[in-house]
Amino acid sequence: MIIFLKKFGLTLTSRDDGREALAAFQPSLAAVDANEAVEIDFNGVNTLSPSWGDEFFTPLLKMFGARLILVNAGNPSVQATLDLLEKIHGLKFNVKN
Amino acid sequence: MKLCICVKINPAMDKQYSISEAAKILNINVQTLRRWDKSGRFTAGRKPAGNIKHYFYSENDIEEFLSQDWRALLKIGAAWSFNSTPRDLPGRFYCPDKSIFKARLSRLEFDLKSHPDFNEIFSLIVAMAGEIGNNSFDHNLGNWPDVNGVFFAYIIKAGKVILADRGQGVLATLKQVKPDLADDAAALNTAFTEIISGRAPEKRGNGLKFVREVIVKNNFKLVFQSGAAILNLKKNDKLPRIKTSSNWLRGCWAIISF
Repeated sequence: MIIFLKKFGLTLTSRDDGREALAAFQPSLAAVDANEAVEIDFNGVNTLSPSWGDEFFTPLLKMFGARLILVNAGNPSVQATLDLLEKIHGLKFNVKN
Repeated sequence: MKLCICVKINPAMDKQYSISEAAKILNINVQTLRRWDKSGRFTAGRKPAGNIKHYFYSENDIEEFLSQDWRALLKIGAAWSFNSTPRDLPGRFYCPDKSIFKARLSRLEFDLKSHPDFNEIFSLIVAMAGEIGNNSFDHNLGNWPDVNGVFFAYIIKAGKVILADRGQGVLATLKQVKPDLADDAAALNTAFTEIISGRAPEKRGNGLKFVREVIVKNNFKLVFQSGAAILNLKKNDKLPRIKTSSNWLRGCWAIISF
Protein backbone atom coordinates (compact mmCIF):
# COMPACT_ATOMS: atom_id res chain seq x y z
CA MET A 1 0.00 0.00 0.00
CA ILE A 2 1.23 3.48 -0.82
CA ILE A 3 0.06 6.51 1.15
CA PHE A 4 0.57 9.81 -0.63
CA LEU A 5 0.89 12.14 2.31
CA LYS A 6 0.04 15.27 0.31
CA LYS A 7 -3.54 13.98 0.16
CA PHE A 8 -3.79 14.94 3.85
CA GLY A 9 -2.56 18.47 3.20
CA LEU A 10 0.64 20.27 2.34
CA THR A 11 1.26 21.99 5.69
CA LEU A 12 1.15 19.30 8.35
CA THR A 13 1.81 20.90 11.71
CA SER A 14 -0.87 20.38 14.35
CA ARG A 15 -1.65 17.41 16.60
CA ASP A 16 -5.37 17.65 15.89
CA ASP A 17 -4.82 17.37 12.15
CA GLY A 18 -2.36 14.48 12.54
CA ARG A 19 -4.81 12.60 14.74
CA GLU A 20 -7.62 13.25 12.28
CA ALA A 21 -5.50 12.05 9.36
CA LEU A 22 -4.73 8.76 11.10
CA ALA A 23 -8.38 8.25 12.05
CA ALA A 24 -9.46 8.89 8.47
CA PHE A 25 -7.00 6.30 7.24
CA GLN A 26 -7.83 3.56 9.74
CA PRO A 27 -10.28 1.68 7.43
CA SER A 28 -7.59 1.44 4.71
CA LEU A 29 -4.96 0.34 7.22
CA ALA A 30 -7.23 -2.44 8.44
CA ALA A 31 -7.10 -3.92 4.95
CA VAL A 32 -3.29 -4.22 4.89
CA ASP A 33 -2.13 -7.86 4.63
CA ALA A 34 0.07 -9.40 7.31
CA ASN A 35 3.27 -9.17 5.23
CA GLU A 36 2.42 -6.18 3.10
CA ALA A 37 4.63 -3.10 3.20
CA VAL A 38 3.11 0.31 3.87
CA GLU A 39 4.91 2.98 1.91
CA ILE A 40 4.49 6.65 2.81
CA ASP A 41 5.40 9.06 0.04
CA PHE A 42 6.27 12.61 1.18
CA ASN A 43 6.44 14.00 -2.33
CA GLY A 44 4.66 17.37 -2.54
CA VAL A 45 4.47 17.99 1.21
CA ASN A 46 5.65 21.52 2.02
CA THR A 47 6.05 21.39 5.80
CA LEU A 48 5.89 18.71 8.45
CA SER A 49 6.35 19.23 12.18
CA PRO A 50 6.65 16.75 15.08
CA SER A 51 3.18 17.40 16.53
CA TRP A 52 1.49 16.16 13.35
CA GLY A 53 4.14 13.51 12.80
CA ASP A 54 3.86 12.09 16.31
CA GLU A 55 0.12 11.54 15.93
CA PHE A 56 0.46 9.90 12.52
CA PHE A 57 3.81 8.15 12.15
CA THR A 58 4.47 6.94 15.69
CA PRO A 59 1.36 4.71 15.82
CA LEU A 60 2.06 3.48 12.27
CA LEU A 61 5.65 2.60 13.16
CA LYS A 62 4.49 0.73 16.24
CA MET A 63 1.86 -1.07 14.13
CA PHE A 64 3.99 -2.00 11.11
CA GLY A 65 7.61 -1.81 12.28
CA ALA A 66 10.10 -2.24 9.39
CA ARG A 67 7.21 -2.75 6.98
CA LEU A 68 6.59 0.99 7.23
CA ILE A 69 8.75 2.53 4.50
CA LEU A 70 9.18 6.27 4.03
CA VAL A 71 10.06 7.60 0.57
CA ASN A 72 10.86 11.05 -0.84
CA ALA A 73 11.63 12.22 2.69
CA GLY A 74 14.27 14.78 1.70
CA ASN A 75 12.35 17.91 2.75
CA PRO A 76 14.32 19.55 5.64
CA SER A 77 11.29 19.72 7.95
CA VAL A 78 10.49 16.06 7.24
CA GLN A 79 14.06 15.02 8.09
CA ALA A 80 14.14 17.14 11.26
CA THR A 81 10.75 15.77 12.37
CA LEU A 82 11.73 12.14 11.79
CA ASP A 83 15.03 12.68 13.66
CA LEU A 84 13.21 14.05 16.70
CA LEU A 85 10.53 11.35 16.72
CA GLU A 86 13.25 8.67 16.59
CA LYS A 87 15.00 10.33 19.51
CA ILE A 88 11.85 10.71 21.62
CA HIS A 89 10.54 7.21 21.14
CA GLY A 90 13.83 5.32 20.66
CA LEU A 91 12.55 4.01 17.33
CA LYS A 92 14.06 3.90 13.86
CA PHE A 93 12.19 4.73 10.67
CA ASN A 94 12.87 2.75 7.51
CA VAL A 95 13.67 5.59 5.09
CA LYS A 96 14.28 4.69 1.45
CA ASN A 97 16.01 7.31 -0.71
CA MET B 1 5.12 33.36 -15.07
CA LYS B 2 4.54 36.09 -12.55
CA LEU B 3 1.13 36.10 -10.92
CA CYS B 4 -0.10 39.30 -9.38
CA ILE B 5 -3.08 39.18 -7.06
CA CYS B 6 -4.63 42.60 -6.58
CA VAL B 7 -7.08 43.07 -3.75
CA LYS B 8 -9.26 46.13 -3.88
CA ILE B 9 -10.29 47.24 -0.43
CA ASN B 10 -13.89 48.26 -0.16
CA PRO B 11 -13.68 51.73 1.46
CA ALA B 12 -16.85 51.00 3.44
CA MET B 13 -15.10 48.03 5.07
CA ASP B 14 -11.73 49.68 5.60
CA LYS B 15 -12.19 51.45 8.92
CA GLN B 16 -10.67 54.91 9.25
CA TYR B 17 -8.96 56.22 12.37
CA SER B 18 -8.11 59.70 13.55
CA ILE B 19 -4.49 60.50 14.32
CA SER B 20 -5.05 60.00 18.06
CA GLU B 21 -6.79 56.64 17.51
CA ALA B 22 -4.02 55.48 15.18
CA ALA B 23 -1.41 56.55 17.74
CA LYS B 24 -3.16 54.41 20.39
CA ILE B 25 -3.19 51.38 18.08
CA LEU B 26 0.52 51.84 17.37
CA ASN B 27 1.27 52.44 21.07
CA ILE B 28 2.99 55.74 20.38
CA ASN B 29 2.08 59.34 21.07
CA VAL B 30 0.42 61.68 18.57
CA GLN B 31 3.55 63.80 18.21
CA THR B 32 5.54 60.77 17.09
CA LEU B 33 2.90 59.89 14.51
CA ARG B 34 2.95 63.48 13.20
CA ARG B 35 6.72 63.25 12.97
CA TRP B 36 6.44 59.99 11.05
CA ASP B 37 3.97 61.66 8.68
CA LYS B 38 6.37 64.55 8.08
CA SER B 39 9.39 62.32 7.56
CA GLY B 40 7.48 59.95 5.27
CA ARG B 41 7.91 56.93 7.57
CA PHE B 42 4.11 56.59 7.80
CA THR B 43 2.10 59.14 5.87
CA ALA B 44 -1.47 59.95 6.86
CA GLY B 45 -4.35 60.17 4.41
CA ARG B 46 -5.86 63.62 3.97
CA LYS B 47 -9.52 64.50 3.58
CA PRO B 48 -10.61 68.04 2.79
CA ALA B 49 -13.18 69.35 5.26
CA GLY B 50 -14.05 72.95 4.36
CA ASN B 51 -10.89 75.04 4.54
CA ILE B 52 -8.94 72.50 6.52
CA LYS B 53 -7.75 68.96 5.92
CA HIS B 54 -8.46 66.05 8.21
CA TYR B 55 -5.67 63.55 8.73
CA PHE B 56 -6.70 59.92 8.88
CA TYR B 57 -5.25 56.42 8.82
CA SER B 58 -7.16 53.48 7.38
CA GLU B 59 -7.06 50.09 9.06
CA ASN B 60 -5.46 48.62 5.95
CA ASP B 61 -2.81 51.37 5.88
CA ILE B 62 -1.94 50.67 9.53
CA GLU B 63 -1.65 46.93 8.90
CA GLU B 64 0.42 47.47 5.74
CA PHE B 65 2.74 49.85 7.61
CA LEU B 66 3.20 47.34 10.43
CA SER B 67 3.89 44.59 7.89
CA GLN B 68 6.92 46.59 6.71
CA ASP B 69 8.21 48.31 9.84
CA TRP B 70 9.90 45.89 12.23
CA ARG B 71 10.36 48.31 15.13
CA ALA B 72 6.72 49.43 15.08
CA LEU B 73 5.53 45.83 14.83
CA LEU B 74 7.72 44.79 17.74
CA LYS B 75 6.31 47.63 19.81
CA ILE B 76 2.64 46.70 19.36
CA GLY B 77 3.44 43.01 19.88
CA ALA B 78 5.32 43.72 23.10
CA ALA B 79 2.58 46.04 24.36
CA TRP B 80 -0.08 43.37 23.77
CA SER B 81 2.01 40.60 25.32
CA PHE B 82 3.55 42.36 28.34
CA ASN B 83 0.95 44.95 29.44
CA SER B 84 -1.53 43.99 32.13
CA THR B 85 -4.45 45.46 30.14
CA PRO B 86 -3.73 44.97 26.45
CA ARG B 87 -5.31 46.95 23.65
CA ASP B 88 -6.83 45.07 20.73
CA LEU B 89 -4.32 44.10 18.06
CA PRO B 90 -4.83 44.98 14.40
CA GLY B 91 -6.75 42.00 13.00
CA ARG B 92 -4.05 40.92 10.56
CA PHE B 93 -1.70 40.00 13.42
CA TYR B 94 -4.17 38.43 15.82
CA CYS B 95 -5.23 34.80 15.66
CA PRO B 96 -8.09 34.30 18.14
CA ASP B 97 -8.34 30.60 17.35
CA LYS B 98 -6.44 27.72 15.82
CA SER B 99 -8.15 27.78 12.44
CA ILE B 100 -7.08 31.38 11.84
CA PHE B 101 -3.56 30.55 12.98
CA LYS B 102 -3.47 27.63 10.56
CA ALA B 103 -4.54 29.81 7.64
CA ARG B 104 -1.93 32.45 8.45
CA LEU B 105 0.77 29.83 8.86
CA SER B 106 -0.02 28.66 5.34
CA ARG B 107 0.33 32.26 4.21
CA LEU B 108 3.77 32.48 5.83
CA GLU B 109 4.70 29.26 4.06
CA PHE B 110 3.56 30.66 0.72
CA ASP B 111 5.44 33.94 1.21
CA LEU B 112 8.66 32.23 2.29
CA LYS B 113 8.51 29.59 -0.42
CA SER B 114 8.07 32.29 -3.05
CA HIS B 115 11.21 34.09 -1.86
CA PRO B 116 14.38 32.89 -3.64
CA ASP B 117 16.50 33.26 -0.47
CA PHE B 118 14.29 30.97 1.56
CA ASN B 119 12.93 28.31 -0.77
CA GLU B 120 15.38 25.73 0.62
CA ILE B 121 14.72 26.39 4.30
CA PHE B 122 11.17 27.72 4.39
CA SER B 123 9.78 24.45 5.74
CA LEU B 124 11.97 24.63 8.85
CA ILE B 125 10.82 28.16 9.67
CA VAL B 126 7.17 27.22 9.14
CA ALA B 127 7.54 24.04 11.21
CA MET B 128 9.08 26.01 14.12
CA ALA B 129 6.37 28.69 13.95
CA GLY B 130 3.76 25.93 13.78
CA GLU B 131 5.09 24.20 16.87
CA ILE B 132 5.28 27.41 18.91
CA GLY B 133 1.86 28.70 17.81
CA ASN B 134 0.08 25.36 18.16
CA ASN B 135 1.63 24.96 21.62
CA SER B 136 -0.08 28.19 22.65
CA PHE B 137 -3.49 26.86 21.68
CA ASP B 138 -2.96 23.28 22.87
CA HIS B 139 -1.67 24.27 26.32
CA ASN B 140 -4.27 26.96 27.00
CA LEU B 141 -7.45 25.56 25.51
CA GLY B 142 -10.28 26.50 27.88
CA ASN B 143 -7.78 28.03 30.33
CA TRP B 144 -6.77 31.38 28.83
CA PRO B 145 -6.24 33.70 31.83
CA ASP B 146 -7.56 36.81 30.02
CA VAL B 147 -7.24 37.24 26.24
CA ASN B 148 -7.29 34.08 24.17
CA GLY B 149 -5.27 33.58 21.02
CA VAL B 150 -1.92 34.41 19.55
CA PHE B 151 -0.11 37.43 18.20
CA PHE B 152 1.50 36.17 15.00
CA ALA B 153 3.41 38.41 12.62
CA TYR B 154 6.38 38.29 10.29
CA ILE B 155 8.47 40.53 8.09
CA ILE B 156 10.36 38.45 5.57
CA LYS B 157 12.72 41.23 4.45
CA ALA B 158 13.71 41.69 8.12
CA GLY B 159 14.05 37.92 8.55
CA LYS B 160 11.75 37.82 11.59
CA VAL B 161 8.76 35.90 12.84
CA ILE B 162 7.11 36.84 16.16
CA LEU B 163 4.64 34.75 18.10
CA ALA B 164 3.21 35.57 21.51
CA ASP B 165 0.37 34.54 23.75
CA ARG B 166 -1.19 35.65 27.04
CA GLY B 167 -1.60 32.09 28.25
CA GLN B 168 -0.48 30.35 31.41
CA GLY B 169 3.19 30.22 30.46
CA VAL B 170 5.69 27.39 30.37
CA LEU B 171 6.16 27.01 34.14
CA ALA B 172 2.44 26.58 34.91
CA THR B 173 2.05 24.15 32.00
CA LEU B 174 5.06 22.00 32.83
CA LYS B 175 4.32 21.93 36.55
CA GLN B 176 1.36 19.69 35.71
CA VAL B 177 3.81 16.94 34.74
CA LYS B 178 6.88 18.06 36.71
CA PRO B 179 5.64 19.61 39.97
CA ASP B 180 9.15 20.10 41.40
CA LEU B 181 10.12 22.75 38.82
CA ALA B 182 11.52 25.68 40.81
CA ASP B 183 11.07 28.68 38.55
CA ASP B 184 10.61 30.04 35.03
CA ALA B 185 14.26 29.44 34.12
CA ALA B 186 14.08 25.79 35.16
CA ALA B 187 10.85 25.42 33.20
CA LEU B 188 12.39 26.88 30.03
CA ASN B 189 15.43 24.67 30.43
CA THR B 190 13.20 21.60 30.72
CA ALA B 191 11.02 22.67 27.81
CA PHE B 192 13.97 23.10 25.48
CA THR B 193 16.32 20.35 26.62
CA GLU B 194 14.55 17.43 28.30
CA ILE B 195 12.52 14.86 26.44
CA ILE B 196 9.50 14.31 28.62
CA SER B 197 8.10 10.84 28.24
CA GLY B 198 5.48 8.86 30.10
CA ARG B 199 3.01 11.73 30.07
CA ALA B 200 0.07 9.62 28.94
CA PRO B 201 -2.58 10.60 28.17
CA GLU B 202 -0.78 13.92 27.74
CA LYS B 203 1.49 13.49 24.70
CA ARG B 204 2.35 17.11 24.04
CA GLY B 205 5.52 18.78 25.10
CA ASN B 206 8.37 18.10 22.70
CA GLY B 207 7.77 20.91 20.20
CA LEU B 208 10.30 23.25 21.77
CA LYS B 209 12.96 20.51 21.62
CA PHE B 210 12.32 20.42 17.90
CA VAL B 211 12.71 24.20 17.70
CA ARG B 212 16.04 23.93 19.53
CA GLU B 213 17.33 21.16 17.23
CA VAL B 214 16.45 23.20 14.15
CA ILE B 215 17.97 26.44 15.47
CA VAL B 216 21.32 24.91 16.48
CA LYS B 217 21.73 23.13 13.13
CA ASN B 218 20.86 26.10 10.95
CA ASN B 219 21.65 29.76 10.59
CA PHE B 220 18.71 30.85 12.76
CA LYS B 221 18.34 32.57 16.12
CA LEU B 222 15.65 32.36 18.76
CA VAL B 223 14.63 34.58 21.66
CA PHE B 224 11.97 32.97 23.84
CA GLN B 225 10.54 34.40 27.05
CA SER B 226 8.04 33.05 29.55
CA GLY B 227 7.59 34.55 33.02
CA ALA B 228 10.83 36.26 34.01
CA ALA B 229 13.09 33.87 32.10
CA ILE B 230 14.45 34.76 28.69
CA LEU B 231 16.23 32.22 26.52
CA ASN B 232 18.61 32.88 23.65
CA LEU B 233 19.69 30.26 21.17
CA LYS B 234 21.70 30.29 17.97
CA LYS B 235 23.53 28.00 15.57
CA ASN B 236 25.96 25.54 17.20
CA ASP B 237 24.90 26.42 20.77
CA LYS B 238 25.37 23.35 22.95
CA LEU B 239 22.89 24.64 25.52
CA PRO B 240 20.43 27.54 25.52
CA ARG B 241 21.45 30.66 27.46
CA ILE B 242 18.75 31.52 29.98
CA LYS B 243 18.74 34.80 31.90
CA THR B 244 16.36 36.76 34.08
CA SER B 245 14.52 39.50 32.26
CA SER B 246 13.54 42.85 33.77
CA ASN B 247 10.11 42.50 32.10
CA TRP B 248 7.69 39.80 33.12
CA LEU B 249 4.93 38.20 31.10
CA ARG B 250 2.65 35.37 32.11
CA GLY B 251 2.45 33.78 28.65
CA CYS B 252 5.09 33.26 25.98
CA TRP B 253 6.98 35.51 23.62
CA ALA B 254 9.13 34.20 20.77
CA ILE B 255 11.15 35.81 17.98
CA ILE B 256 12.67 33.61 15.30
CA SER B 257 15.36 35.31 13.21
CA PHE B 258 16.43 33.82 9.89
